[in-house]
Amino acid sequence: MKLNDLEKAMLAGEHGEAARWALELQVRVGEFFDARDFVEVRMVQLSSDIEVVGASGLAFLRRMAALPPAERRLRAFATADARGFDSVAYSRLLPGRDLSGEMDHVVEALVALGAVPTHATANYHSVLPLGYGQHGAFSGTPQVIYANSVQGARCNFEAGPAGIAAMFTGRVPRYGFHLDRARAGTRLFRLEFAPESATDWGAVGAIIGRRTGSYSAVPVIDGVGERPDALALSHLGVALASYGSTGLFHLVGVTPEAPTVEAAFGGRPVPEAEAVTRAALDAFYAAWPGRNAKLDAVVLGAPQLSYRELCELADLLQGRHIHADTLLLAYTAEDVKEMCARQGIVQAIEAAGGMVVHGLCFFQIFAREVREANGWNCLMSQSVKMANLTAGFGYHTVPATLERCVESAIAGRVS
Amino acid sequence: MSVPRILRCHPGIGPRVQGKAIAASDNFSVRYDLDYRRGIFGRPGHALHGVSYVGFILVLNAAKGGVASAWMLQELVTIGKAPLALVLNDANPVLVQGAAFANLPLVDRFAIDVTGAIATGDELIDDPQAGEVHILGAA
Repeated sequence: MKLNDLEKAMLAGEHGEAARWALELQVRVGEFFDARDFVEVRMVQLSSDIEVVGASGLAFLRRMAALPPAERRLRAFATADARGFDSVAYSRLLPGRDLSGEMDHVVEALVALGAVPTHATANYHSVLPLGYGQHGAFSGTPQVIYANSVQGARCNFEAGPAGIAAMFTGRVPRYGFHLDRARAGTRLFRLEFAPESATDWGAVGAIIGRRTGSYSAVPVIDGVGERPDALALSHLGVALASYGSTGLFHLVGVTPEAPTVEAAFGGRPVPEAEAVTRAALDAFYAAWPGRNAKLDAVVLGAPQLSYRELCELADLLQGRHIHADTLLLAYTAEDVKEMCARQGIVQAIEAAGGMVVHGLCFFQIFAREVREANGWNCLMSQSVKMANLTAGFGYHTVPATLERCVESAIAGRVS
Repeated sequence: MSVPRILRCHPGIGPRVQGKAIAASDNFSVRYDLDYRRGIFGRPGHALHGVSYVGFILVLNAAKGGVASAWMLQELVTIGKAPLALVLNDANPVLVQGAAFANLPLVDRFAIDVTGAIATGDELIDDPQAGEVHILGAA
């Protein structure tokens, strides 16, 4: 990689040990992807929940934090989403384990390094959106694909230690979606039906993600009738990333780099369109059977619920009560929960027997251990990403609309 | 002894290692496909479900999303639950960043489908710096 004078000085240790370590790591990653140079980033978002950081990651963060300040100077503003853990909810879901204590250690280390602990994971909902064409170093897959696709920003997945490195250097290797040429579409999909819910949009993302299956693939989706809202775009993105490792999509007539099909392909030949049919949607849902199965929990999140979704949930639950053998867990950001609590929305959900859980989402906190501790098997979720990820922990999770999830929670069985 | 077959790929990350392969054409996520406490593939439906991966060279198709993988590779190395190396058709940044942090061998981008060229039980030398995987002996 071509390094400028500042980067050479960082690599030589002239700007401290943290920057030396960080640039060395970034050069290795950049060379893997044939990056020619670095690009400065406007902001960094760190994803560092305790389960995945682990004891070794925490020890690393503490070693970095213990360096003298001159050895660990930050070159980019960074937020950390390790905060936002609902200790009250998890004292019920995973009794006997002090998760809040474990989480606090990660937070303390990140704050000592200079990161700002936010209370959200999907921080494009409320914190620091990137603008069109701006470069960022985001760790979360939802943040990356939303920033790239909907906001027209420039990001790769900068996961875990890569985010920490960007915080110390203020830059990332220039490869992947930092390059205009990598942002052009590679596959064209024609949507032949109108998705009717955010869950349907997630299913579209899952169907296309499975077909593309590569980080370097950029799906272009044409045939969109009514423009989807931010929630639908969010579910489309997280499902594409979850099922296909996708980091960027273009929705013709909707997202900023795709005013036309031709523009989405950046002047390259437009490939033949691949149909995404109603039959494919039906087949996707049919692959998650379970009608009438005993329902252990409804887990709503992935991404965290927005204010509007919590309002809809409260409306659906009004005057009703969740089955005694089923839990309904609604994951949201702490600031959204506080706002909803001020308006009585949290209380309305709780009056029906639901739990509003703030902070890190269900799949991010020892979900396998929660299953084992509670003897759970069958879940439902409005998120097809949640269905995919929890399957990895041994759950059978049926994806369905918010309305169907609520009806099932009340019946205690998958409706 | 037969002449090793050499598969060429893009130069990768990590040291040269030798070991036995576990191969499948499925995709791969460290966080959501492995039960790291038991050292096995934990995802029902994965071709390697229930298979112990610790100390083997994993040969799989593409890395799936999941930013958590970047931290977890280092943790797996630390607790002795890591694969020996990763050989993929198509890695993603998350896995590359994690491998760089953990100094775990990782290569990708072969001219052929590597999951069809290597079989479970094959003895391999994985040389990331050279961008080569040597098949020393068939299963």
